Amino acid sequence: MEGSNTYLIRPNHQYKFKPAIVKECIREIVRERLSGMLYDPEEVPELSRSLADGIKDKVKNAGFDRYKLVVQVVIGEQRGQGVKMSSRCLWDADTDNYAEDVFMNDSLFCVVAVFGSYYY
Amino acid sequence: RVSATTKNKRVGSLILKKNDRKSYSRVTFPSEAVAMDEYQTEEETAFVVEEVSKIIKESVEAAIGGNAYQHSRVNQWSTSVVEQCLSQLSKLGKPFKYIVTCIIMQKNGAGLQTASTCFWDNSSDGSCAVRWENKSMYCIVNVFGLAL
Repeated sequence: MEGSNTYLIRPNHQYKFKPAIVKECIREIVRERLSGMLYDPEEVPELSRSLADGIKDKVKNAGFDRYKLVVQVVIGEQRGQGVKMSSRCLWDADTDNYAEDVFMNDSLFCVVAVFGSYYY
Repeated sequence: RVSATTKNKRVGSLILKKNDRKSYSRVTFPSEAVAMDEYQTEEETAFVVEEVSKIIKESVEAAIGGNAYQHSRVNQWSTSVVEQCLSQLSKLGKPFKYIVTCIIMQKNGAGLQTASTCFWDNSSDGSCAVRWENKSMYCIVNVFGLAL
């Protein structure tokens, strides 16, 4: 009888997507990049893209193996308008999770959401 | 008779192996062995952007169609947009995990920018973004589909 391969179908507890750690990652980067910034319509596209890339790299290096990541960054101007952002996910609640953070200063607000989904 | 083949897919710097979807089960009736194979064709397992975009547009129309921005109802609107999208997507029956996000913003002259970046398998995963507006508000819906 030959031996069979073993496949991991769920991550061990220590390798699970930990929202608290990811939230810390997001917070550091956003605070560092956006403190004191003013909303500038020309710069914002580049800024949001680079913020998303920076956060994605930081989370990747935090060592969540076999996790697919989706990072979404929303930057808006503060002018007294109302905004609502919501999300719903169809996934395996046991292995998958998300982390989010909101940053506000006088001229802009920034919402970052990072979703992690385990690749079986 | 079981044959398992594996496909290698490069995802960033990880190599993840993916098994083809074949399952074999043997039921021993007195004189027969029954084998069940499930195959899913390429079309049924791909993320089709047009189809998803249509679903999103319909859900948004149905949930907030002719309404004007009201702060007290935004919560309920965004929840219903997202839930309706998700239930329609799951009805497609495709082997995907979905992430749906919705941003509703009052029209005020202010600017808004969204960006997203994903670490996934480009050949099987996909995303779709739909921008909808009426006289008093904007609604941006993003759907990310991650293949199983």
